[in-house]
Amino acid sequence: MTPRALNAADRGAGPYLWRFTPLQRALHAAVIVSFCGLVTTGLPLHFAHAAWARALIRVVGGLHAAGLIHRACAIITFGYFALYIGSITYRIMRSSNRMSFFWGPDSMVPQPKDVRDVIQMFKWFLGRGEQPRFDRFSYMEKFDHLGVFWGVAVIGASGLLLWFPEFFAKILPGWAFNVATIIHGDEALLALSFIFTIHFFNVHLRPEKFPIDLVIFTGRATAAYMQEEHPLEYERRRAAGTLDALTAPPISRAGYLWSLVLGFASLGLGVFLVILVIWALLH
Amino acid sequence: MFARSLVRPAWLAAATAFLAAAGAGTATGQGITCEKCHGNRDFLVGKGGPQGDSALYVPAGTLQDTRHASLRCAQCHVGYDAGYPHRATSRVVPCSTCHAAEGRDWDASIHAANSASTGDAPTCVGCHGSHTVYGAADRRSPTHPLNVAMMCGRCHADPRIIGTYFATADKTRARTAVAHFYKTVHGNALTGAGLVVSATCNDCHRAHKVLPADSTGSSVNRANIPATCGACHVGVVEAYDSSAHGAAYRTGGVTTTGHSAPVCVDCHSAHEIVRADQPQWLLGVVQECGTCHERLYETYFETYHGKVTRLGFNLAATCSDCHTAHNMRPASDTRSSVYAENLVATCGRCHSGANANFVRYQPHGDPKDRTKYPLLFWSWLFMTLLLVGTMSFFLLHTFLWLVRITINRLRGGGPAHTEAQP
Repeated sequence: MTPRALNAADRGAGPYLWRFTPLQRALHAAVIVSFCGLVTTGLPLHFAHAAWARALIRVVGGLHAAGLIHRACAIITFGYFALYIGSITYRIMRSSNRMSFFWGPDSMVPQPKDVRDVIQMFKWFLGRGEQPRFDRFSYMEKFDHLGVFWGVAVIGASGLLLWFPEFFAKILPGWAFNVATIIHGDEALLALSFIFTIHFFNVHLRPEKFPIDLVIFTGRATAAYMQEEHPLEYERRRAAGTLDALTAPPISRAGYLWSLVLGFASLGLGVFLVILVIWALLH
Repeated sequence: MFARSLVRPAWLAAATAFLAAAGAGTATGQGITCEKCHGNRDFLVGKGGPQGDSALYVPAGTLQDTRHASLRCAQCHVGYDAGYPHRATSRVVPCSTCHAAEGRDWDASIHAANSASTGDAPTCVGCHGSHTVYGAADRRSPTHPLNVAMMCGRCHADPRIIGTYFATADKTRARTAVAHFYKTVHGNALTGAGLVVSATCNDCHRAHKVLPADSTGSSVNRANIPATCGACHVGVVEAYDSSAHGAAYRTGGVTTTGHSAPVCVDCHSAHEIVRADQPQWLLGVVQECGTCHERLYETYFETYHGKVTRLGFNLAATCSDCHTAHNMRPASDTRSSVYAENLVATCGRCHSGANANFVRYQPHGDPKDRTKYPLLFWSWLFMTLLLVGTMSFFLLHTFLWLVRITINRLRGGGPAHTEAQP
């Protein structure tokens, strides 16, 4: 038996197939970098009473630096959000089959099959049926996608209020900043808790994929991986004869190493921050 | 201190002129000067008795340019005959013969009591010296402002004195008083900036009527603190007097929060006092306010201002930024910085452009207080349910998934992919 590849998307028989476009990979990298910057600088403020808060704020260079990093990452967030909205608008406008963005197997919009998949998944958990077979996006990926959408909108809007209170007080009463503080902090805590536990487990840490799945960084995965994770898409494309068009070369060594570094750095930071949150909540 | 020293020579001169008439220049009036023997070391060898020969050695000119320059030996040392050695009945005229007020003050002090009982406390010469009394304005004097702390420290930093007199728990602060004093704003002003106008020991504890703080006659008793500090901090005590704290202090000493009215040292401490523009102070004082204003203290730390402050950074408003440092009044008082109509100005000190909308911010907004802040409560409840609900569902999802994988593996199914890409 040959050794198990570190990257789950490298495992099994080839060839490599394209799964994510360069823009999607770049967007996800931007999400990672900005989100890590935001939570690392925001968490000590949210849990200012925690034993580790002062140490963490010192590590990031003090409160003033933390504020600058937080705002810089906010700008990156607004940037990728705008870029993403722009890109899907562009693709919808240019596409010959616009409906496929809103409905059908290639759409990110939750559909009846996703509800059936959730129910089927729980049945499988309880030993009452087979594991559901996913198409291009599983219900977990759709939830993650909508979660980021909702999170950026809510955290971003409340963050803007708190960034420019004097400006927004021209139209909003002062207590809006109290509400914005609650929403900003708690929604960010939800995002952090979800991404660094549920998303990490679903995508990287569950035994089939452990320790990491780099498909979002490299953009490509083996045919075996696709058959395992997205069997309906694989079979659909094979039947339609469009599989060959997706054939991808293996990623360059540099690309692989960069993916590995970014992946493990964010995984490690996330797990570390979750430990800090649990520590703060327990005291 | 300095005002007095200007006045003193006038009456001292009158007293010394009177005394000088008795025996100017000589010890006995028989033509033998004191210096003939007491200015000669060789003559004194072996004659000093238990105090040592050097105590008897007072060379000519010792009193020159001291405050006692015009005094003659016999004005203080009376009752000597012409015989040698001098008769045992010799004595020293009490300093209070001339310094009556200082004598009375010292008589009432803890130093007088301990001096009588154990001898462990200074009499006049203990602080002022015996022959070289220069006056507090003279740099050479141990009572000069720059020397006082060192002089007091001879006893008050002495482990034996501390162990004997400050051993009980209520005297804990006295044990470190001198060492801490040098780190305080007052001590730094003296030793670092060389300021003679900064407070030193005697400015707060008085020079002669030194009494422990629990004694009602003490200048550092709670009842006298505002007056003692106010002697120098005139503007501060004016503001304090008209504040809610000052009003409570004057009228029975109990505040509307049911605590004893704070005096200067409750917030500033005594021997740990630091400059009010130092981060260490700005963060510490919030805690001081919180010892009485418990709920406001807790809710403050729920806000952005409080969280920034809690992290140890002096970048956001603390209590005194909104409520003022000494002039705090209830929000119902039209003169208060937090009176509704004054809020735009108060918030505007940091938030330029603050308007009537802006000041509707709740700087002590408490999401847990449903009746007072319903909107904050419902926002908080919604966010908490969203968080708990989402996480509960997916943590269950993850947990069951992990259980299923484990069961399947125990039944013999291996991981999906075992071979690496060739």
